[in-house]
Amino acid sequence: MTMGLWRGLRALPTWTVPVLCAAVLLLLPAFGLGFSATRQIQLACILALLVSGLNLSLGYAGELALGQAAMYAFGAYTAGLLSVAGHTDIVLQLAAAGLAVLVVGVLTGMVGLRLGSWSLAMTSFFLVLIVPDVLAVFDDRTGGRNGLSGILGPTLFGRPLGPTEIYLVIAVVLVAWFAVMRNIVTSRHGVALRVLKQSPVLASSMGISVFRMKLLAYALGAIPAGLAGALFANLDLYVSPEAFGFVLATTILAAAILGGVTSVYGALAGAAIMQFGPNQSSRFQEFALVFTGAFLIIGGVLLRGGLAGPARRAVARLDRAAGIRPRPGAGAAEAAVPRIRGTELVVDGVSKSFGGNRALDGVSFRAEPGRVTALIGPNGSGKTTLLNMVCGFYRTDSGRILLDGARLDGAAAHRVSRAGVARTFQTPSVPDGVTVLEAVAAGRYSADRVSVLSAVLRLPRFRRARRADVAEAERMLALVGMAELRDEPASSLPLGMRRLLEVARSLAASPGVLLLDEAASGLDEDEVERLAELIRRIRRAGGTVVLVEHNFRLVLDLADDIVVLAHGQVVAHGPPAEIETNPRVLAEYLGATEEVS
Amino acid sequence: MTIIWGGLALGAVYALVAIGYNIVFISSKTFNFAQAQLMMVGTFVAYTGLVTLRLPVAVVVLLATAAVTLVAAVEERLAVRPVEDPETVLVTTLGAGVLINGLTQVVWGGQPLAVPFFGGDGVLELLGGRVYPVEIALVAVAVALVVLFGWFARRSVTGLTLLAMAEDREAAMLRGVDVRRLAFGAFAASGALAGLLGVFVGPKTFAVATLGASLALKGFVVMAIGGFGSMPGTLVGGMVVGLAEALAARHLGSEFAAISVFAVLIAILLVRPSGLFVRTRERLV
Amino acid sequence: MTDESPDASPRKPVLRARGLATGYGDLRVVWDVSLDVWPGELTVLLGRNGAGKTSTLRALAGLNKASGGTVELDGADVTRTPAHRRVRRGLAYVQEGKRVFHRRTVEQNLIVGGCTRRMSRSALRGEADRIYEIFPVLGEKRNVLAGDMSGGQQQMLAIGQALMAAPKALMLDEPSGGLAPVIVAQVMEQVARLTEHGIGVLLVEQALEASVRVADHIVVLDMGRVLVGVRKDEVDDIATLREAYFGRRAGRPPEHAPTEP
Repeated sequence: MTMGLWRGLRALPTWTVPVLCAAVLLLLPAFGLGFSATRQIQLACILALLVSGLNLSLGYAGELALGQAAMYAFGAYTAGLLSVAGHTDIVLQLAAAGLAVLVVGVLTGMVGLRLGSWSLAMTSFFLVLIVPDVLAVFDDRTGGRNGLSGILGPTLFGRPLGPTEIYLVIAVVLVAWFAVMRNIVTSRHGVALRVLKQSPVLASSMGISVFRMKLLAYALGAIPAGLAGALFANLDLYVSPEAFGFVLATTILAAAILGGVTSVYGALAGAAIMQFGPNQSSRFQEFALVFTGAFLIIGGVLLRGGLAGPARRAVARLDRAAGIRPRPGAGAAEAAVPRIRGTELVVDGVSKSFGGNRALDGVSFRAEPGRVTALIGPNGSGKTTLLNMVCGFYRTDSGRILLDGARLDGAAAHRVSRAGVARTFQTPSVPDGVTVLEAVAAGRYSADRVSVLSAVLRLPRFRRARRADVAEAERMLALVGMAELRDEPASSLPLGMRRLLEVARSLAASPGVLLLDEAASGLDEDEVERLAELIRRIRRAGGTVVLVEHNFRLVLDLADDIVVLAHGQVVAHGPPAEIETNPRVLAEYLGATEEVS
Repeated sequence: MTIIWGGLALGAVYALVAIGYNIVFISSKTFNFAQAQLMMVGTFVAYTGLVTLRLPVAVVVLLATAAVTLVAAVEERLAVRPVEDPETVLVTTLGAGVLINGLTQVVWGGQPLAVPFFGGDGVLELLGGRVYPVEIALVAVAVALVVLFGWFARRSVTGLTLLAMAEDREAAMLRGVDVRRLAFGAFAASGALAGLLGVFVGPKTFAVATLGASLALKGFVVMAIGGFGSMPGTLVGGMVVGLAEALAARHLGSEFAAISVFAVLIAILLVRPSGLFVRTRERLV
Repeated sequence: MTDESPDASPRKPVLRARGLATGYGDLRVVWDVSLDVWPGELTVLLGRNGAGKTSTLRALAGLNKASGGTVELDGADVTRTPAHRRVRRGLAYVQEGKRVFHRRTVEQNLIVGGCTRRMSRSALRGEADRIYEIFPVLGEKRNVLAGDMSGGQQQMLAIGQALMAAPKALMLDEPSGGLAPVIVAQVMEQVARLTEHGIGVLLVEQALEASVRVADHIVVLDMGRVLVGVRKDEVDDIATLREAYFGRRAGRPPEHAPTEP
């Protein structure tokens, strides 16, 4: 019975529950809430906006941004100053506040993110600390430490808003932001953010600009804080620097951690707990910090993924109990490699040293469309270094790398990827929290560009690209024989499957050059055969394949040209028949020497 | 010159926080957000010992060292060890800092408490400026600690293993280094240092519950300017921040103190992203 | 090389694995590995890439948890002993890729290597002199930063560092990796001579012939299991080893296997 109910519930579209919650929130005033309950809910909504913005940067982009409180202040003062100047329209104020913090977010983010690691955490935290000082500098306008008073009541299209209407405005802004947040997170940009958090290297090899993506998440995350500030200014009609200090900054963080940073709706739960918990206990005001601190520790240590973690596991358990399975992949039968426009890759006299060690010394080779070029050599001979140079992770000391005659050396990794070079990694890294299908579709991130705005508004362009993503990803999965796994979590796959997933993902971008770094190692017999067949088909379809491989047999079997590296130099170069009898190769690569009989 | 002395002493306080950060950073590549709060506890214990209980200075120093070491040890066990990734440690140690902040407010209240300096509070004339004995002591202690740490790290077997562990944890483990114990020891040592310094820092800053937040941030700025893991860097970073703050407050107005430190930080990091004393290395894939 | 007399005195292996299984998280890489390392003898561990060689070493060293089977060190069960304690009990492990401490000098590296021996710094410097006798080039460069040395010298330093702990058993993961053939020969020679001090050596190598030449025992892994485990004098045909080494499953008939020169 209960299971039947659950099955019915799960059959509804995923947005049903949030929409119902939104309806309840909007209808609450009709039930005649008291003043204090209404105020608490309004404050909880405002806190939820702040937390949700932090989730975007911390949870999805992996950057700890502690500056939400400062953004909140900027939003509040923008709205407050507009109001004092007579512009009381709430829509105007929200727009102005959102725009102001977006600008501040982009500026501070550009500095903080360029410096890497913890710099954003600190520069953004510093913003919180200097808010009172900045306000004091302009104290003739802002009232300095005394606060800004004289804010007029908000209006909408010239009509003053009553308490219930203000409540409705706050609720509508909250609902709207969460819809935006959901649309971002479930779009390809959301997947790209998860890839980025898992591995910046992987992200840039997929054509995602790490810097721009992080900046985007951080700056977008500032917007709800700005909106929250504008709402707060209109709620209290008074703002002072004390409201935006250290305590608020840590409260926001604690709420985010409690709710779960990589979740959309966890922010609501976290904000509600913090609002009705520590913030509420005016009797225990002095204990508020103690609670916040304890929540941060407990949340960080025990609740990995916050409350959203156990909630997801509970849903999964109920699903299993009710016998709900992911849909089997549809239309997986057709699996032909489409015609690929392969490009010619030329490596010309490339050298590279790390410290005193010469990793590559004047390496040249050419990989042509419709051919498989294998790079072999003992461990440490420079194969992977060479791939990393081609992909733009290392700068060349000398020499040139050309793609169909155009210079590639010196280009950033994401630009190399966009030029049509796709690769797999020795250690496949698979982002958390995405399905196999999404992970493969992410390979198309640079193929069709879709703006965040069209993802948020779900414009036709976004829907078209999404359909193409899904169709292409399904076809790639069918190619590697993993169609039935499309809805499994990608991170649950065993090593062999992860490798094939990587191959599928790099193929999804229809790359001009495909670089496979030890793609066969760790695969079982069947999987190696499947991979070999796939590589042959890519070759037939006109693709350029560069294969770095230890499995000598596989190389002899697949390659049209073999380049043998040792100690950073090309020691032999030719077709398999020539290479397998070359004494120098046997000596270097196989360790055979003349004295051994 | 009086301004410069004040700035240098302030910078020394920040440098002392950064030294604590660095000890933990070097040993475990994590960042103890609560370091400044530990030092704050040191100032409160110093106040209680010197003013409330009227104990001799040596006893107070011992008491403060023991108390803060204990707090640091508990913090390591509860908020650092159970957590694996450094990003989350940032959150949990921030939590520990907030918790300590809250508890000190409950115990000692929110009002600033004046901690007397055992070396006296007569004003001295030095190089044409007026300076308090505690200010000279702070600068001397900061310099001495950096020199001492450099000597310890390069001259003792434990110090060398610490540096080795900083470079490659797993390789150190394979040379028989008990990395968890060493990391715990370093954490506790940073706590001991914070406690010990309470009697020096308290007289300059007062024992006050808001000390933690501002010291934490300035300490970090010092570390970022000098370079993560660089002990000499903390001295230079402290000097830069202290002087920037003191000079800006004097010539532009007190509201510009923090703003100018922010500006200096950003300017330095734009030129040298990994700080003044750390070389950047090419990223390895 | 060493005069082997299996029947003289009840010899005990210095390092022994029985039914060892290990992996990374849920992923199992090593399924069932049993091997012995005898004092004063060299056991070479061969296998294709991904066969589980390095994972076996990591489990023996205690870096990866054994999910099955046992590890014995000098007769005592150390299956649940943490890595740094195994070092103190006489197991040294030189990882792949010359993992020395690049920002420390040669001598500082060696001193760290001896940190388990509870000696003063000056006593450890005396110990380092013995390492300089084995690897003279390290003595010449004792004050050079390890990161500024060549790959071969770093490899010697890594081995020297492990020797500083006065180990009973020494595990080496591809000491020849990325080195020029001349240097490989030198390193192999040094490795072979280590057994003269009574140390039991477990060597993982890619350079098949070079390592088999100096081995007393040969173990070949495939898919995380022992495929071949023999004494060297039982091997009559090196081609069978090669067959096992390169794997029999690469989808190509045997006539394409590389032939003897």
